Amino acid sequence: MEDSNEEFEPLFDYSRVQPFNVVCLDDDSQDESPVFCPKKRKLTDAKEKKKEQDVDSKDVKVIDCDDKEDDEEDWLPPPPKNVNNCSKTLEEDSTLKALRLKRAELASLAQSAEEVVRAVEESVRKDLSASLQYSPKSDTKQPLEPPHEREKLVISIQDKDGTKQFRVYMDDKFERLFKMYADRIKLDVKNLVFCFDGDKVSPVATPASLGMEENDIIEVHVKSS
Amino acid sequence: MSGGIARGRLTEERKAWRKNHPHGFVAKPETLPDGTVNLMVWHCTIPGKPGTDWEGGYYPLTMHFSEDYPSKPPKCKFPQGFFHPNVYPSGTVCLSILNEDSGWRPAITVKQILVGIQDLLDQPNPADPAQTEGYHLYLQDSIEYQKRVRSQAKQYPPLV
Repeated sequence: MEDSNEEFEPLFDYSRVQPFNVVCLDDDSQDESPVFCPKKRKLTDAKEKKKEQDVDSKDVKVIDCDDKEDDEEDWLPPPPKNVNNCSKTLEEDSTLKALRLKRAELASLAQSAEEVVRAVEESVRKDLSASLQYSPKSDTKQPLEPPHEREKLVISIQDKDGTKQFRVYMDDKFERLFKMYADRIKLDVKNLVFCFDGDKVSPVATPASLGMEENDIIEVHVKSS
Repeated sequence: MSGGIARGRLTEERKAWRKNHPHGFVAKPETLPDGTVNLMVWHCTIPGKPGTDWEGGYYPLTMHFSEDYPSKPPKCKFPQGFFHPNVYPSGTVCLSILNEDSGWRPAITVKQILVGIQDLLDQPNPADPAQTEGYHLYLQDSIEYQKRVRSQAKQYPPLV
C-alpha cells in the first residue's frame, strides 16, 4: 500500500505537466490574438471527448487548424484554447484522474511484484553464497577436514642448498609448515630459524599476517649450537 | 617521467627479488613510520661469503635510488666507518659497476649489485682505494687486516 502511494505522486505531477506543455506550444499565438477566445471554446468543447481519451497536444493543434480555416486567423485560435483547456482539463481530471490512478495502481502492483521477485532472488543468492562460505567452517568443526574455500599459496623454503616448495593456507599458522619442513629434513624444529625479508617468522604468524604472496621465499637458517 | 620509470623498474625488481634471491641476502624497500613504502630507498643485508674471513657477518647496506634510475646506478652505503679498502669513510661503496661512467648498465639488477658487493668484500680492488686505513692494512699488514675483518664480522651477527 505504501509503495503504491509513493508511486502515485509522480504520476499525479505528470498529469499536471501535460496541459502545461500544451500551453507552451501555443504560447506565441496566444500573445498575438487573445481576442478569439470564445470561438475556440466551442472548438475545445468539441474536442473534449477526444481529450478524455488522453489526447496529446499535437492532436489538439491539428484539429484547431482545420476548424479555423473559415476564419482569416487560422493560427490565432490556439492560444485561447489553451486557456480554456487548462480549466477544462481540470474538469476532465476527475475521469483522467481515475484512469491514471488505476494505471498507477497497476503499475505499482507490477513494480512491487517485480521488487518482491528481485528481493527473493537476492536473498536466495545471499543464502547460497553464505552457505558456500560457511559450510566449509562447519565441515572443519565436525569432520576436522580442511576447508575447501580457504585461500592457498605456494611458499618456498630456502636453505643454503636450495628451495623446497610448500602449499599452505593463507590463514594457517607457520608452526605447522615449520614442523612439516623440520620433519622432512630430519632436524629439530627448535634448531631452525625461519626468516622472511630478513625478519624472523613467528610460529604463530600466518602468510596472510605477513602479507605474503605466491612463491615468496622463507629462508631457513640452522642454529649453530 | 623518469621518476615513473624508476618506480616501475623498482617495483619489478622487488617482485623478482621476492620470488628468487640468494640465500642470506635481504633487500626490501624501506617502510616509513606511517606504513607507506618508499621504493627509492632499500634496506639490504649482504652475508659474508662462506669460507672467507667475512663469513658470519651480515652486513647492512642501504641502496639509494635516484629518479634517474636505471639510467644512473643507485648509491650503495655501508654504515659509516665500515672497514674495507673500497668503502669511503662515509660508507659509500666504490665499485666499477656502481659507477655511471664506467661499469654501470641499466640492465644490472639489484641482485647482481648485491652479489657484486659480496664478491668485493673478499676481493678488494687495490687500484681503487677509498679509505686509507683499510687500504694500507690490506697492502702492508695482512695479518692485522684479517683480524680487523674477522672482528668486524662479529660486529654484524645474524639478525635472527
